Amino acid sequence: MARPIPAWLAPTSLEEALELRARYGEEATVVAGGTFVGILINQGLLQPAALLTLRQIAELAYLRVEDASASGKPLLRIGAMTTHRALERSPLVQRGWPVLASTFALVASPRVRNQATVGGVLADADYASDPPALLHALGASVVARSPQGQRLISVEELIVGHYETSLRPDELLTEIQVPGGIEGAVYRKFRSRSSEDRPCVAVAAVRREGRLRVTVGAVAERPQYFPEICALAEGQAGIDAELAREIGERYAAAIEPLSDARGSAHYRRRVIAVEVRRALEDLHQQIIATGGGSQRHV
Amino acid sequence: MAAMEIHFTLNGQPVAVQAEPDEMLLEVLRRELGLRSVRETCGLGICGACTALLNGQPISTCILLAPLAEGCEITTVEGLGGHHPVQRAFEEVQAFQCGYCTPGMILTIKALLEEQPAPDEETIRRALGGNLCRCGCYLKIVQAAQRAAALLAEERRRQPGPGAAPVS
Amino acid sequence: MSRAMPEPGENTHRTEPDPRVTGAIRYAQDVELPDMLYACIVRSPYAHARVLRVDTSSLPADVVALTPDDVRALGLYGCQIKDQQVLAVERALYIGDPVAAVAAASPRAAREAAELIEVDYEELPAVFDAVEAMQPGAPLLHEDLAISDNDAAYFGMRPEPQRNVCHHFRIRHGDIEQGFAEADVIVEETYRTPSAQHVPMEPHACLARWTADGRLEVWTGTQTPFNLRMDLAGIFGLPQERIRIIAPPMGGAFGSKTFVRYEAIVACLARKAGRPVKLVLRRDEEWLTLNRHPSTIHVKLGARRDGTLVAKQVTCWANTGAYADCGPGVAQKMGFASPGPYRIPHVWVDSYCVYTNLPSNGAFRGYGATQAVWASERTMDLLAERLGLDPLELRLKNVLVDGDRYCTGEVMHDVHFADCLKAVAGQIGWHEGRRGKGLAVLLKGMQTPSRASIVVEANDDGSYTVHCATAEMGQGAWRAIRMLAAEQLGVPVERVHFPVPDTDIVPYDTRTTSSRSTYMMGRALVEAVRQLKENGELGYGECVNEGGLDPDTGQGIASTHWHQGAAAAEVRVDEETGKLEVVHLHTAIYAGRVVNPPAAQLQNEGSMIMGLGSALFEEITFAEGQVTNANLSDYNIPAADDLPRITYDLIERPGAEIHGLGETALPPVPAAIGNALFSLGIHVRDLPLTPERVLEASERRRVRSAAPV
Repeated sequence: MARPIPAWLAPTSLEEALELRARYGEEATVVAGGTFVGILINQGLLQPAALLTLRQIAELAYLRVEDASASGKPLLRIGAMTTHRALERSPLVQRGWPVLASTFALVASPRVRNQATVGGVLADADYASDPPALLHALGASVVARSPQGQRLISVEELIVGHYETSLRPDELLTEIQVPGGIEGAVYRKFRSRSSEDRPCVAVAAVRREGRLRVTVGAVAERPQYFPEICALAEGQAGIDAELAREIGERYAAAIEPLSDARGSAHYRRRVIAVEVRRALEDLHQQIIATGGGSQRHV
Repeated sequence: MAAMEIHFTLNGQPVAVQAEPDEMLLEVLRRELGLRSVRETCGLGICGACTALLNGQPISTCILLAPLAEGCEITTVEGLGGHHPVQRAFEEVQAFQCGYCTPGMILTIKALLEEQPAPDEETIRRALGGNLCRCGCYLKIVQAAQRAAALLAEERRRQPGPGAAPVS
Repeated sequence: MSRAMPEPGENTHRTEPDPRVTGAIRYAQDVELPDMLYACIVRSPYAHARVLRVDTSSLPADVVALTPDDVRALGLYGCQIKDQQVLAVERALYIGDPVAAVAAASPRAAREAAELIEVDYEELPAVFDAVEAMQPGAPLLHEDLAISDNDAAYFGMRPEPQRNVCHHFRIRHGDIEQGFAEADVIVEETYRTPSAQHVPMEPHACLARWTADGRLEVWTGTQTPFNLRMDLAGIFGLPQERIRIIAPPMGGAFGSKTFVRYEAIVACLARKAGRPVKLVLRRDEEWLTLNRHPSTIHVKLGARRDGTLVAKQVTCWANTGAYADCGPGVAQKMGFASPGPYRIPHVWVDSYCVYTNLPSNGAFRGYGATQAVWASERTMDLLAERLGLDPLELRLKNVLVDGDRYCTGEVMHDVHFADCLKAVAGQIGWHEGRRGKGLAVLLKGMQTPSRASIVVEANDDGSYTVHCATAEMGQGAWRAIRMLAAEQLGVPVERVHFPVPDTDIVPYDTRTTSSRSTYMMGRALVEAVRQLKENGELGYGECVNEGGLDPDTGQGIASTHWHQGAAAAEVRVDEETGKLEVVHLHTAIYAGRVVNPPAAQLQNEGSMIMGLGSALFEEITFAEGQVTNANLSDYNIPAADDLPRITYDLIERPGAEIHGLGETALPPVPAAIGNALFSLGIHVRDLPLTPERVLEASERRRVRSAAPV
């Protein structure tokens, strides 16, 4: 009857990790920072046959900026094993993608951020985490590697449901790519209870190359984004109050929110309208302050 | 696969312990090493009662798979000796009631003060955000952090040296 | 064993640091004995079900199992009503009710073994709301309701077995009909407060062993060692002195570690195993162990046009869950706190303690007063609005003063309600504008009747040892008693030792609840020290407070000593999301004489912060009897960054008695915040004041003000 003791797989190179991942498939639970795996095991929700840790693969923890993307805009490359804390404290990120640094600083506690990784939080696809909605709005992508090669998956395509991603059983998420050229970016975390609570409604609003992208997190199984509603801002220099209100209301109508300990579906719908509007007002202020809006608009 | 052996440095001493791969460091520290200052409350990494420092940074041992400690430096409050300025500050201010959360609070403040020697109240409250105290000692814990900052500054003044490294 | 336990609370100038800052303190969860096994509980997945069969055949040979057949012959227990067996023998009465248990070589082996036990159930209809549970035809939880012989059953109880009522407490003061006839204005409202979790940082933990000569020894985190011993004696048919309870310091309790929790199960396992057995609860099991009583309270309050109160009628439904525990006592105290500290000639209270298929509810810091003050003090502001009076003036006009009789008939002494109210009003800037501000006042009884006794012993080295059953849960009682003893003995506090309470050694004490210990033990100590000084070796002292209420009229002595306090809050509301921000919270508590200032401050701050949690977000949610937020992610407690500006006054008076401070500041906090919201026209009846409720209430206001009158 005794519970089988899981195998501990600790490869020291990415190649070795990919080989193990391919061999074990879904038998092996991948351990990045291990916070989510730890919680699942403590709750009795996970009894892995094998644990595959990426901790000893030094080549998976890095932060680099490249100017080589197609548009000539800088591209932030984040190694999957980069911790939240490292991202939040990186001068590179603070300078070039301040919204990333400030949003990651809102996740859980310093203890969790010392342990949890950027790759891990995306692969977990937990609806109430902060980073997925922001990375979605920033138009980020992830690199998925397998022995056969690699593919680039947008965050939008990566997170397909509740704790569910489009990663294949032989793939490892190795890198996150965040494009630059951002004219303004805002993340608002609305908590309905303690300051330490997870979000009841999270709104990320980003303008890049004149296009608006609003992603609402923590309200449904996966981040919520409606390009046709965001298109209302197309061709506008800024986002005036009326437009912000309209986009907020349309988002509230378009989303089917869930109910949980942090708020009912009915309440969430109300807050989505308010918080999307406020995010757009904040974004507008930011664009005006930096002059980004008028410069970018052609 | 049977239990495995894990090696790390605990409070300055190298240790080797037996653990199963899906056990958390908290269980191993308590069972194999007899440490009682690390305590389980939430099992989710939320409350901070199980806090230890891993390579100087606070982590939740209740959600850290024990094998991930391999090769790391782990510090618990037992390793501070009892007269560390943060401990002295807690005693002076009487910043505890039942004492269950106290070791986690002390380690969190120690790590904070090593990075920011003179934090303002806001910064302290934020840093303590993930350490829960059900007795509600927060006001005095914030005072203790400020007092500890002063004690540490005093020590640095008394022992001026290159880099004025924080005392640990 | 007990002497080896380190003690908390040494002062700052010793060479030995406080064991709380070094981690050297040992709680019940840290106690270990050679060869001990670890327990795990098997719990009912049904809210109400007949237990048909418990099958342990797939357990490994080295696992010890406890099933209903093992405990069927043991005695019934319950600190006030004997309604409980060691396991659910015939019927499981809530989701989480223990139906079996195992003991194995490691906690993990025990958890795995527990999953191998198969139980067959026949599901039965269940009821979860206290008001519904009293209706004819509601599922009946208990057939017989025998009153306990435990001395926690210290007052007359009026169970009504055929309608799920384990106690009906009444106050009959004046003529209620005549009172309302004399009123110019009557306001009426119904309020609800939710269940809440104590969330002690240390979970429930206990360890039991049987000695070779058949004595039972139990190490457990408990506030009630003697009540526990009495119930265990009844269960096992042993004389009380054959049972030894050792009560290490607790990592928080707040009322949760009272009476029999898991000690009986662990003792049964230990007897069957022939080895010591230890249980440490998983965090989620705390929500299945003991919570705060959800309440429904209806208040009808009548006054003259000038604000003079003339009549008040209150009906309380205290939902005690599946087993009474000390629910009858909670309902009684909720009942006699609900009139509030006012002179009211006509008062009629009916307070029901009602069984439902929820986990048991019991003592919780504030003990019935939190619920009662919420309803009572919110209604005062409804009345003030109706009469166009300043809520502070309305209170000051009616508040009890020295020499007044309370509705229980007792004469009030050393009364400071007006002082407390004026202090909080001043600190919150009441007279500079009342918008967004609210206040509330409370009176809360102390355990009456009760008895405390203490022994002080002179040691050969010139130091002294205090033998005392008072439990330490962080409130600083051990240190306060040591300081009082040191003061009377004329020695430094370091020369007075306070070993971990052991019922084989310490004299009787009622229990460590209701903020009574420093006051009662302090008085007992005076006599003990006097005797010791006479004979040079040993002194014994005791303190008894007499009183009690007639359960059918509520007349008598509710409390020999009243806790008094007030709170004021200033709030801001985000009208679009309903999110409430408390800007400033101030309390003023009558402290009499403070023994240990830092501990008194900590107790008061802690009470305010717990009150803030109850006000803003603490609520256990259920779906058909299943707790849906039994973890600290889904159930939030206040964190450092949640605090508003917190200030307070501990009002002292030269020559005054010591007043317990452990809970006084909690109950008025939610009501003060609720009244601050009401000053903005937002009337929320139910706690907690979630953004969702606030938004809904602020919309009702808009609809109301838009509607033609």
